[in-house]
Amino acid sequence: MIPTHTQLASQWITLLAAGMLIIQLLMVVQRMLLTNIRLFALQSLMLTAIAAIVAGANHAVDVYIVAGLTLVGKVFVLPWLLNRLVRRIQIHQEIEPLLNSTASMLLCGGLTLLGYIVARPFTSLEQLGNNTLAVAITLLLTGFFLMFNRRKAITQVLALLTIENGVMLAAVALTSYGMPLVVELGIFFDVMVAVMVLGILVYRIRETFASMDVSKLSQLKG
Amino acid sequence: MLLPILIAPAAAALLCLVLRSRRAMEGLNILAFAVTVALGIRLLFEVLAVPGHVVTECQEFFRADALSAWMVLLISVVSLGTSLYAGRYFQRDLAAGAVTVGRAKEFFVLTPLFSAGMFLVVLANNLGVMWFALEATALSSVLLVALYNRSTSLEAAWKYVILGSLGLALALFGTVFIYAAAVDRNSTTQPSFNWSHLMLIAKQLDPRLVKLAFVFVFVGYGTKAGLAPMHTWLPDAHSEAPSPTSAMLSGVSLKVALYALLRFHILTTACLGTPFSRTMLLVFGLGSMCLAAPFILVQTNLKRLLAYSSLEHIGLICVGVGLNSPVTIFGALLHMGYHALTKPVLFFAAGNIHQSCHTLQLRLIGPGLAQMLPLTVVCMGLAAVAATGLPPFGLFLSEMTVLSGGFAAGQGGVSMLVLVALLASFCGILYQLARILLGAPKVARVSDAACWDGVPAMGLMLGALAVFSLWLPAPLLEVMHRAAGIIGGEP
Repeated sequence: MIPTHTQLASQWITLLAAGMLIIQLLMVVQRMLLTNIRLFALQSLMLTAIAAIVAGANHAVDVYIVAGLTLVGKVFVLPWLLNRLVRRIQIHQEIEPLLNSTASMLLCGGLTLLGYIVARPFTSLEQLGNNTLAVAITLLLTGFFLMFNRRKAITQVLALLTIENGVMLAAVALTSYGMPLVVELGIFFDVMVAVMVLGILVYRIRETFASMDVSKLSQLKG
Repeated sequence: MLLPILIAPAAAALLCLVLRSRRAMEGLNILAFAVTVALGIRLLFEVLAVPGHVVTECQEFFRADALSAWMVLLISVVSLGTSLYAGRYFQRDLAAGAVTVGRAKEFFVLTPLFSAGMFLVVLANNLGVMWFALEATALSSVLLVALYNRSTSLEAAWKYVILGSLGLALALFGTVFIYAAAVDRNSTTQPSFNWSHLMLIAKQLDPRLVKLAFVFVFVGYGTKAGLAPMHTWLPDAHSEAPSPTSAMLSGVSLKVALYALLRFHILTTACLGTPFSRTMLLVFGLGSMCLAAPFILVQTNLKRLLAYSSLEHIGLICVGVGLNSPVTIFGALLHMGYHALTKPVLFFAAGNIHQSCHTLQLRLIGPGLAQMLPLTVVCMGLAAVAATGLPPFGLFLSEMTVLSGGFAAGQGGVSMLVLVALLASFCGILYQLARILLGAPKVARVSDAACWDGVPAMGLMLGALAVFSLWLPAPLLEVMHRAAGIIGGEP
């Protein structure tokens, strides 16, 4: 039997969401900074594809715009900005995580499970794809883990951006028409400015501390 | 007339970008905020004209009810006080070489943007717009926190931006869930994301989803509002920022985040019809108050001391809303207002002390400041007496309102806990400040020229505090009553 248009879209979305999750887990174990940035770009590309499929299935012009913005902003501009920042401050490529990769992987497996449990009561709300909400919540949880596990300023920025990808996935999965365009534009603008502000701070921290290791930021207590 | 409230500070920020003279930038800031104060008062009367009146603009994109009007007043008054103080503050910093000309300019550009963001938070009807306005305030204030570019201020800014963004990401998740709850499965049109529209259909929203959303939003906006245990950025950011920025952060920025939280609280209560959201407010408010008190007692840094005091006041406001009787909510709103007039004065005075003593460590600046900086110390002493909740100042009145409302509502245990926390921080603040302000001085008296620094701004806010403590004009009383009604869930 040939699947209908909607079924096909639904399957593609499930596949791409799973891809986003796999990339997130790869980022957890990957130690090279530039590779991490490329992985983020790839994850954003998958998000773009999901948004485009949802837009096509629902004939929603707004969601096409969201897909376009994600493509330009998160696949090209932000990775390029981060790459430039990494080269400019000439840091060590390798990230030293607190937990080793095996332990990190196990923990993230647990977090994925948790994400699925939290999302379970709400799966009926999804119109296209299966378990995209679970993936979104998992992206949030593993993003938190990435933030605490990595002590480099730029990796914390990347972790924040993957969490943001999770929010966008949830928005597309649950609402099917996306959020009102003005909100999407505002969020997009905010994320771009946030990365620039973070970049400025990373640059200044690097100049002042001669390091990008945030565990050195520990003078303020009590 | 809602749009001009946003345009005035935004235009001032853009103009400051092209101006070169610091005096002109300073004047422009003061002018812009004076205009917003005037517009805020006008809005107040517009809202009060008819009972239950709501001012909307641009097809309900902007919306102001009594609660928004009250917040607009607070934001504009604190911003005006800050801009009056900032000029002289940066003049001294520039003379001392603590900041460069470029950084001082950064302040005069970012501060109106920060305010404009806060105005947008309280005037936006769309919950998504409210979210990105709040994110914009975080981003504009983080560079202000890092203004001095010291290693400690960079650390504070980094913690602030990372924790703030994490919190806001969670809040965005919650906002998305609320929107998902509003999507009509059978309709192909995009639903409205306006708070007013969501309130109309509150009963039809999926209660499980709304509950989940509120938890996310609570943790998210709660981080930005500095509720314990998500408050760790707060003392760092408040102590490392330039004093005018500390005043803005503590005076209004925390309350604006709380405002966003309250909008979700109202919506959640309307949907669920259970005390779920107000219990969370009550528990976390109490937690913040109880956590702040010991930190105040052992504090060694003046501005951190003030930051923890803000934590305690925010906690009290949450408790007031959480107790959910009309009297306590009114008390909480009253407390917001009085705190907004008091805390900036304390931070301004702390700024003067910092510039004269070049340190904020309590054991290094005291004792005997009273003879060194007499006018600053008088203002600080008065504000400290007010902030600790002593009569005749208004904070006594608002704290008593919340407490008596709590007892009357049969929440004796909660009220006793609040009372103990208030007493502990009362002792802490008066003990710590008495140690540095009174006694025989260690350092010689500074020149008379520096004596008057910041006194106009401090005097103005203290004067307003004194007047409003003794006499609350009828329109202010009315707007707070109506705002309390909105929070309490009256239609």
